[in-house]
Amino acid sequence: MHNELAQLINSNVSGSNAEHVARENGDDVLFISSEHILRVCTFLKSAQGYEFNVLQVVTGCDYTDRIEVSYILASFINNLELILKTKLLKENKDHTPELESVCSVWEAANYQERECFDMLGVCFKNHPDPRRILCPDDWEGYPLRKDYVPAEKYNGMVINPEHKINREEIFFGEKLKREAVDPKKISYSWKKPEYFPDGVPESTESE
Amino acid sequence: MSDHSTTSEWYKNPAEREVLKTDLLTLNMGPQHPATHGVLRVEIKTDSEIVVEAIPHIGYLHRCMEKHCEGLDYRGIIPYTDRMDYLGAMGMEWGYALTLEKMLGTEVPQRAEYIRVLVAELQRIASHLMFFGTYAIDLGAFSPFLYAFQDRETILRIFEELSGARLLYNYIWIGGVWNDITDGQLRRITKFCEEMSESLKKYHALVGENHIFVGRTANVGMMSKELCFDHGATGPILRGSGVNWDLRKNRTYGLYKDLDFDIIVGEGIKGQVGDCWDRYWVRMQEMHESIKIIKQCLDGIEEGPIIGKVPKVIKIPEGEIYMRTECPRGELGYHLISNGGKTPYRLKVKSSCFTHVGLLPEVAKGQMIADFVATIGSIDIVLGEVDR
Repeated sequence: MHNELAQLINSNVSGSNAEHVARENGDDVLFISSEHILRVCTFLKSAQGYEFNVLQVVTGCDYTDRIEVSYILASFINNLELILKTKLLKENKDHTPELESVCSVWEAANYQERECFDMLGVCFKNHPDPRRILCPDDWEGYPLRKDYVPAEKYNGMVINPEHKINREEIFFGEKLKREAVDPKKISYSWKKPEYFPDGVPESTESE
Repeated sequence: MSDHSTTSEWYKNPAEREVLKTDLLTLNMGPQHPATHGVLRVEIKTDSEIVVEAIPHIGYLHRCMEKHCEGLDYRGIIPYTDRMDYLGAMGMEWGYALTLEKMLGTEVPQRAEYIRVLVAELQRIASHLMFFGTYAIDLGAFSPFLYAFQDRETILRIFEELSGARLLYNYIWIGGVWNDITDGQLRRITKFCEEMSESLKKYHALVGENHIFVGRTANVGMMSKELCFDHGATGPILRGSGVNWDLRKNRTYGLYKDLDFDIIVGEGIKGQVGDCWDRYWVRMQEMHESIKIIKQCLDGIEEGPIIGKVPKVIKIPEGEIYMRTECPRGELGYHLISNGGKTPYRLKVKSSCFTHVGLLPEVAKGQMIADFVATIGSIDIVLGEVDR
């Protein structure tokens, strides 16, 4: 399906550079150039034999030099599914790349694009309501970027103050290991050194 | 039927509206409001009793679960998926497990498949019962809630015995399920199903046929087919609008292809197709279908292993996948991007409730405030899934 669709897009939307990327595992992907996203989506919604009438997801994935925005389209008429992707170059840490909004094609894009902006800092041009959606309006940074540093303060309030962290829960695994008959069976793999920048602290529990 | 309509006549007429023009009043509904089912805040601009504009504000329960997942191993994510839709947690786990199994190529033993369908359908009943109870409360009837919770309790007891938890189970694991189901529990489920199909008819007679309930829901909050497709609505909402679409049939997974059940589609019995009553009716009838599925599972289940061969440390090969499943509230999708490591590079959850909140402003325009409450209730959102 992907190959034919790529040809169809290329012949109908000039300059879209649709490219089929086959994957060994999972689903195949269709890459297109970012300038033509609106035209490609408009075309796909009414393309003969495909008719992607539902937009499921607009999301992105941050790679250090670029952000790949994925549009997952579904056709409830022909029972099809398509992952449409586009690459956006990210110049520096705070750069917010721009992309055309597809709200005029599917209404569902409104909330999805707002979430994508909120989480990854992709600006959608001509979006009717370009606000953050899950984070507060005055939040700084884009949490789902790989270089995001968790904020320490929000509006003067300390986030995760020391006295509110439940150390007992953090050292729950250690306690289990001490008390277990066979300590090898307890792994608590979630406890990683990178969670503790100043070195893994000693257990605060009294023996 | 009744001449009760969502939009008042004078509001439809612009000339009359101009004469009676007053300032709009901004009203905040929520985040602590019993009718918003959690921490949804809706900013309503009202013209006397009429909603002119409704702006949902979400994010009060945002935990950035997707970011957390990037630092967890694949098994460790399962409890986090529970905490999205805490009223339909089995469906959340199953969707996630299916995503990974498809990437790993794991074969799930037959018994585990049966148990999965069994618990997922029981969960669907529990979730729809919750809807039934709370929806009746939203519209002013208190007692159906007590009946619904009594039956829901039976299901939760069974889940508690199976998994050790009442709501957040961590029960469906990659490659199978965690704990085996005993014959005694199967017998109890059989008994429950028999009782349930009888009581469901009673409940429907008590609430669905009630004159006041019909007056409050029929012809209220209409959602057309086109509106649903445009906004990406799925699940009971889409079916309530008269679209024959169920992933269990259309993109089948698990054992559903061998099981016999029908897709319930709204027919507009009390009003027009796609009104609140239709959505209520679809959910009530779906419970009957779930019971049908459970009975077939109880007949088909055989002895055997409950978990397949899964590597001790799960590493998903490089690639990406999008997997959808039919959860009680609609379609749940997992979009997983892996770079071959022990943790996902990116895991995006497509939640149906999030999309359905986007539908609200469109439906709310021109409704009475009381009807707007009925509309929110009929959408049946869980804020844990909206905010993730």
